[in-house]
Amino acid sequence: MGKEPGELLPGTFEMLVLKALSLGAMHGWGIAERIERLSCGVCAVQQGAVYPVLQRLLRRGWLVAEWRATENHRRARYYRITAAGRRQLDAQVEWWRRSIGGVDRVLGAAAQEA
Amino acid sequence: MSWLHAARQRLDDLFAGDVRDSDLDEEIAYHLELETQRQIAGGCDPVTARARALARFGNPRHVTDAARDARGTQPLEGCMQDFRWALRSLSKSPGFTALALFALILGIGATTVAFTVLDTVLLRPLPYRDAGRLVFITERTASHSTLPPSNPNFESWRDGAKSFDGVASAMFPFSQTVWPSASASDAVRVPTMGVSRAFFAILGVSPLVGREFSGAENAPGGERAAMVSYEFWQHHLGGRRPLGVVRINDSPTPVIGVLPPGFQFIVPADVYLAHEREPSTMRSAHNYMVIGRLKAGVTLAAARSDMTALSKSLLAEYGTDTQAVDADVVSLRDHVVDDYRIMVTIVFAAAGLVLLIACTNLVSAQLARGWAREREVVVRAALGASRGRIVRQLVLESAVLVAAGTLVGAVLAALAVRLVKIFGAAFVPRLNELSIDGRVLGFVAAIAAATTLLVGVYPALRLANRDAGLALRSRGSGMTVRASVWRLLVGFEVALAVMLLIGSSLLIRTLHNILNADTGFDAQHIVTAAITPNDSTGDKLEQIRRELAALPGVEGAAYTNQLPLTWGNSAGPVRRTTDPLDRDWPAMAGFRVVSPDYFAVLRQPVLRGRTFATTDRVGAPNVAIITPGIASKLWPGEDPIGKTIATNYLFNDWLTVVGVATEASSWTMPRGAQNEIYVPLAQHLSRTEGQLVVMIRTSGDPHALVPVVRSRLRELLPTSPAQLGTMDDRIARSAADRRFAMLALTAFSLIALLLAAVGVYGVIWYIVATRTHEIGIRMALGATGAMVRREVLGAALVMAGTGIAAGVLGGIVTTRYLQATLYGVSRLDPRTYIIGAGIALLTALLAADVPARWSSRVDPMTAIRGDG
Repeated sequence: MGKEPGELLPGTFEMLVLKALSLGAMHGWGIAERIERLSCGVCAVQQGAVYPVLQRLLRRGWLVAEWRATENHRRARYYRITAAGRRQLDAQVEWWRRSIGGVDRVLGAAAQEA
Repeated sequence: MSWLHAARQRLDDLFAGDVRDSDLDEEIAYHLELETQRQIAGGCDPVTARARALARFGNPRHVTDAARDARGTQPLEGCMQDFRWALRSLSKSPGFTALALFALILGIGATTVAFTVLDTVLLRPLPYRDAGRLVFITERTASHSTLPPSNPNFESWRDGAKSFDGVASAMFPFSQTVWPSASASDAVRVPTMGVSRAFFAILGVSPLVGREFSGAENAPGGERAAMVSYEFWQHHLGGRRPLGVVRINDSPTPVIGVLPPGFQFIVPADVYLAHEREPSTMRSAHNYMVIGRLKAGVTLAAARSDMTALSKSLLAEYGTDTQAVDADVVSLRDHVVDDYRIMVTIVFAAAGLVLLIACTNLVSAQLARGWAREREVVVRAALGASRGRIVRQLVLESAVLVAAGTLVGAVLAALAVRLVKIFGAAFVPRLNELSIDGRVLGFVAAIAAATTLLVGVYPALRLANRDAGLALRSRGSGMTVRASVWRLLVGFEVALAVMLLIGSSLLIRTLHNILNADTGFDAQHIVTAAITPNDSTGDKLEQIRRELAALPGVEGAAYTNQLPLTWGNSAGPVRRTTDPLDRDWPAMAGFRVVSPDYFAVLRQPVLRGRTFATTDRVGAPNVAIITPGIASKLWPGEDPIGKTIATNYLFNDWLTVVGVATEASSWTMPRGAQNEIYVPLAQHLSRTEGQLVVMIRTSGDPHALVPVVRSRLRELLPTSPAQLGTMDDRIARSAADRRFAMLALTAFSLIALLLAAVGVYGVIWYIVATRTHEIGIRMALGATGAMVRREVLGAALVMAGTGIAAGVLGGIVTTRYLQATLYGVSRLDPRTYIIGAGIALLTALLAADVPARWSSRVDPMTAIRGDG
């Protein structure tokens, strides 16, 4: 499980959603679009996958949601990151960087280092 | 503050699940709208844009479900979610849901009714206090086992047996005329039963009102007294208090007690009398029902050996006076239930088969639906639902179905139980006690749980175990394997239905054979009227007979003291002149007092000698007509005409045999012929025990003549009411136990057939639907609709044929248990098996023909283009 959306590492997609929202409150489509645009299409997922993740993050108190009018006077549900969410994001980014660094070092290892 | 927020979120979810679902739906709708706009902005036409937006989003339903999964983890919330999911999922496929409910309701309803009958008749103690200790005691003679004892033997048992807290007896009930009050002019004829001292105390029944007979009342010379049934008290005495006085055969008799509602001892009676006021002294008679209440801790076996020892000492003491050489003790419940044990068990087993078929249907339908939903389940798993969660949801879905089916099935069963009670109580012992009790409810709960496990868990596990990747990528794989599992299940259903069909048609044939069995007389077109002659003279009786015979539509009328097909209490040994007063003579015979026209009216052939004539009257030599069985036993190879016999416990009253009449079914159908000795009414007027029956042969429908006869008799015998009936009805009643089993089995086999038809329809439809593509190609290549249809029907034929073959084999094995109840038909009767198989085959083909026709109308182009 968790392998299907975008073939990302487990937990990564959650981190991306938190990150997207740390740039400003947004509705579901906007989040999906923002992730896709910022990753230049690399992290393109089935857009629907955003919603289960949003529900999970809401439940943990890392996000709040409220219905707001949009620019074109429609009603949309906007998600905003909470302070706890930011702390979580920081922790996840920290963890991600360390993991990536480690993986990178392994991948970049030259023959004589082994 | 985040925990507070989270808690609130969860509370909101719990109490407003549907509101939140609609929020999610709105969000998704808006999402798709935005994405569509983006695609349009990118240069798509609106239709393509919408399709692309959907493709990028994924299946909205799966997203909704996954989001809901992601939201909650609290057990309660999870269950409520799953419950809502189950309801939504069921309402999304109304066809499946309706079919499943239908099958469940029938299966659970039938099983519940059958179990209620089984529980009431076989499992529950008799409705008497501490009934487990009650036994029924009979005696054995050298030539007969289990005969009712005589009054003197009963008294000796009561005095001598050590195993019992009490021994009591009752007489076989007979009808008497009762006036509800001393001054009443209208009388009723009701069954009356004589009982011994402390009968009700020993049986364990306390009167609702008043008391039972005192020792002084129930002894020679005691005051007259009567007890009445609750129903008699209500209907004929108006529930009056004080209980007052009734007149029985013209004797004023105080009513001293009323029995509880619904009370009966083996057979119903309305008035109970103290039989020990006038004790019978004939030790060799066989006319009392005896019960005993075992002392605490005494086993049935101990009581038996006690009774055997007692019988030996009685035999030593009374020698030739008693016929009993031994005694038999069985539990009273076993005696009451007797032959019905096997019927009730058969009916219950049949109901179990119906439930099994219903479950099979459901499992196969669940599997079919599961295969259709495979993608949905896989996607949900991919979106984060755990396997356990998915299984739980699928099982819950089955549980919701089963719970609904059980509820409706149980309510319908409760209604059916009422009907069975109303219509069955006259035919099957103890059905008057029929009710749904805690044990039945427990049973229903247990079968509901078992059904849930059976129909829910297997398909759910199967579904949840599917390899995700495989199912997502290739839709058609494994289709043949699945179809074969399904075919196997449906074949199993067909087999069970065939077994039920065979069983029920064997019982139908049995019932038909019994009702049309040769009774030895012509039972059709006979009205019977039981009257109380009181002190009517022979001339008066003859005048009444002539008046009735002269009614329009009547061909003749005759008297008997006892109708054919009634249990008599007058069977006794037959003595030849050469026999010493020995205790066990070779022949036993019933004793019937009849008027001269008896054989003509019944059309019972007289084989040798003559019938009775008006000259056979008091003063003339006493004569008798016997049945061939007596002649061959007493005088093998000799002409019985002119021989002399004595019987009916008057062993010195010699009768000259003047004729031999065909044996008739005198007690029950189809047990048939017993030996009978007929004597003329004119010579035995005093031996009719206060009861005579007029048998009236009609030219047309006997039921139409019943009111005519009744009103004529009211004029002729104004003070004593007649009890009317027809011989047809009596014969029908004599096969009541088989009729009960036959009706139940027929109903169950029709239900089974219907469910199997639904099963066949489903699997064939599935095969056709999954092969539309292939069928299209073949039709494009020149196959005609008729060919396709034939081929689909061929597949159905193979499936049904396998099931039918298995069913026939199953029938051959299981009809062993029916053996004892069959009459005039072999349990392996080929015609029955062929008919059962034929009906099943026809039904299967009819069910398969609907999808087969549909397949023959497939449009090749559409089918090939579609992804079938």
